[in-house]
Amino acid sequence: MRRTALGAAVALAGVAVLSAAMAPARSHLSIATAALVLVVPVVLGVAIGGFAAGVIAVLGGFLAYDLLFIPPFGTLDVGSGQNWVALAVYALVVLMVARVVSSLQRARSESARREVEARRLYELSDALVGDRPLAELLARVATTLQESFSLRSVSLLLAEGEALRSVALAGEPLSDAELAQVLPSGGRLRSATAGGGRVVGLPLSAAGRPFGLVVLVSPDPLGPGEWAPLRTYANQVALALERARLRDQAVRNGLLEEADRMRSALLGAVSHDLRTPLASLKAAVSDLRQPGLALSESDAGELLALVEGQADRLARMVTNLLDMTRIEAGALEQHREVTSVAELVAESLAMLGGPERTGRIVSEIPPGLPPVEVDHVLIGHVLVNLLENAERYAPEGTKIAIGAEARPGAPGGRASVEAWVEDHGPGVPESMRERIFTMFSRDGAGGRSGLGLAIAKAFVEVHGETIRVEEASGGGSRFAFGLPAAPALPEVP
Amino acid sequence: MSMVLVVDDDPSLRRALRIGLVARGYEVSVAGAGGEGIDQVALSAPDVVVLDLGLPDIDGVDVCRRLREWSSVPILVLSAADAEGRKVAALDAGADDYVTKPFGMAELEARLRVALRHARAGRDEELTELAVGDLRVDLVHQSASFRGRELDLTARELAFLTYLARNAGKVCTHHMILKEVWGPQYGAETHYLRVYAHRLRRKLGDEDGVFLRTHPGIGYQLVAS
Repeated sequence: MRRTALGAAVALAGVAVLSAAMAPARSHLSIATAALVLVVPVVLGVAIGGFAAGVIAVLGGFLAYDLLFIPPFGTLDVGSGQNWVALAVYALVVLMVARVVSSLQRARSESARREVEARRLYELSDALVGDRPLAELLARVATTLQESFSLRSVSLLLAEGEALRSVALAGEPLSDAELAQVLPSGGRLRSATAGGGRVVGLPLSAAGRPFGLVVLVSPDPLGPGEWAPLRTYANQVALALERARLRDQAVRNGLLEEADRMRSALLGAVSHDLRTPLASLKAAVSDLRQPGLALSESDAGELLALVEGQADRLARMVTNLLDMTRIEAGALEQHREVTSVAELVAESLAMLGGPERTGRIVSEIPPGLPPVEVDHVLIGHVLVNLLENAERYAPEGTKIAIGAEARPGAPGGRASVEAWVEDHGPGVPESMRERIFTMFSRDGAGGRSGLGLAIAKAFVEVHGETIRVEEASGGGSRFAFGLPAAPALPEVP
Repeated sequence: MSMVLVVDDDPSLRRALRIGLVARGYEVSVAGAGGEGIDQVALSAPDVVVLDLGLPDIDGVDVCRRLREWSSVPILVLSAADAEGRKVAALDAGADDYVTKPFGMAELEARLRVALRHARAGRDEELTELAVGDLRVDLVHQSASFRGRELDLTARELAFLTYLARNAGKVCTHHMILKEVWGPQYGAETHYLRVYAHRLRRKLGDEDGVFLRTHPGIGYQLVAS
């Protein structure tokens, strides 16, 4: 409407200005010249305001031409027959020009509309492709639909059993009244329009089975021309959602399979770990019990020491398994108390066994470390597990170092102590440094469980600290973890 | 003095075996990994190898296979109780016998003695007669006798018995027997073996399976007491 008025105004003003300019010289001008000049404002008006503006412009131009340029001037009378012809030709030309220009105009606006549609389609399919989880995809579809169609609101509802559940919303929330208007009455989802075309519900179906509904609320009633593309989009959205659903399902199945595989591998590794000490226990005991076997006193003593060591090893395995179960069950209680790192180390060395086992372990705990506040049983297990791990991989005759240093906290944060166990074995390759703390073997082929390290990680994390493995200086691996420092003691007067 | 090579990654078991076997008069060398074990067989030529199947570097079954490429040293594998498939794989790959962990030293030594005896007996390739305990198999005249009594055997029964006698002391897997006695296209028909073993035991008067021993799920073995 505004464009029509503007076009008409421009045309009429143009006619007025040109007429005023030509009027003084009209006796010298041929009537054909005046007619040609007066075509210009009419074309201008049509170009701006379309056909309706063109008609007004034609009328204005006609009147101005007749009144001012066809003698007798100032009247609608058309003197001679020749003048009639000029007037008729002017009217005809101007009308035809108006028509041509306005149809061009329409074609241009049509192509602009198609371009918008194509752009929307592009935006939407851009939103649909790409490997996104279902929830993200739903949100993205709703937002894209709302933005590209300038809708007031877009809701996606998915069928869950009998009910429909809203899973994504863009724009204003849908009122219950609006929703009720497009909800299926007979259970089967179908497209529905309500509110004079302002609220539209489109079913989403895959493999001929509807599984959801898109509800669109438009500020203006939607005409049939806008309906058709929306239906196309709904189909595309349905396909994409179905694909995303299948993908999510596949991911879930994959995870379950992985968990299953992990469990059986863990079981295999744990049973290997439990059986290994049993084999040497039984071999040693069967020798000690065999009458008439020529065992020297030192051999018998060695076998007995071996039996004791293996019994300890089994006991620790069982403790680890129980710890593991407690971690898995989430029933990890901690009783923190203030203690020193040196005490914790001494305790774990005692747990590990006699000097023939701990002889290669060098303690490098510096004096003057701040006291720590930890559960000494849990941290004891961490240290024992790390030492056992080091023993297993450090070549015979090499040292295993255990050390610590104070780590001042950030201003306002807590201070802590970093403790470490270092061996000069083969070390842990960069790619394995994360995985090594999962319940898995350090070396797949040997099938050992990584139970000890997984437990160490869990126990350290219970204290709000972290554990990591890095390369020891001079080769080998260095397992370092934090211990929370005890809060400073209040000043006692 | 026979020399035993123990290949196991657990130092405690290596120590226990070394003490026990030395006390029984064996010479013992040890290796902690498969590659080291193979090297030791090449370097020190042991009389028998005790090989753990779960090694950190090379799988025990592969160690058997690699050793068999150039060595006929008897191999006794150590394996877990529930690892039937692994035992069969090791035997198919050339191991002679297996011991299930955990084991007593007396049992291990008995198996070692069997392996050593049969290894010595089997040295001569140009045999005309096989002797396993009271069993005699005449390879020239295609006949067999047990405790001095001639056995009335079908050709296939004799072939079965001959194959076991040739590999006396060694556990022969179902697969190996079927392929050797019935033909290369056989391998899964273990029920044939059950039927033939039953018939042979009746003819040998060994109903309890003391001489022709069954290893359930694995195979058969001739054991000279």
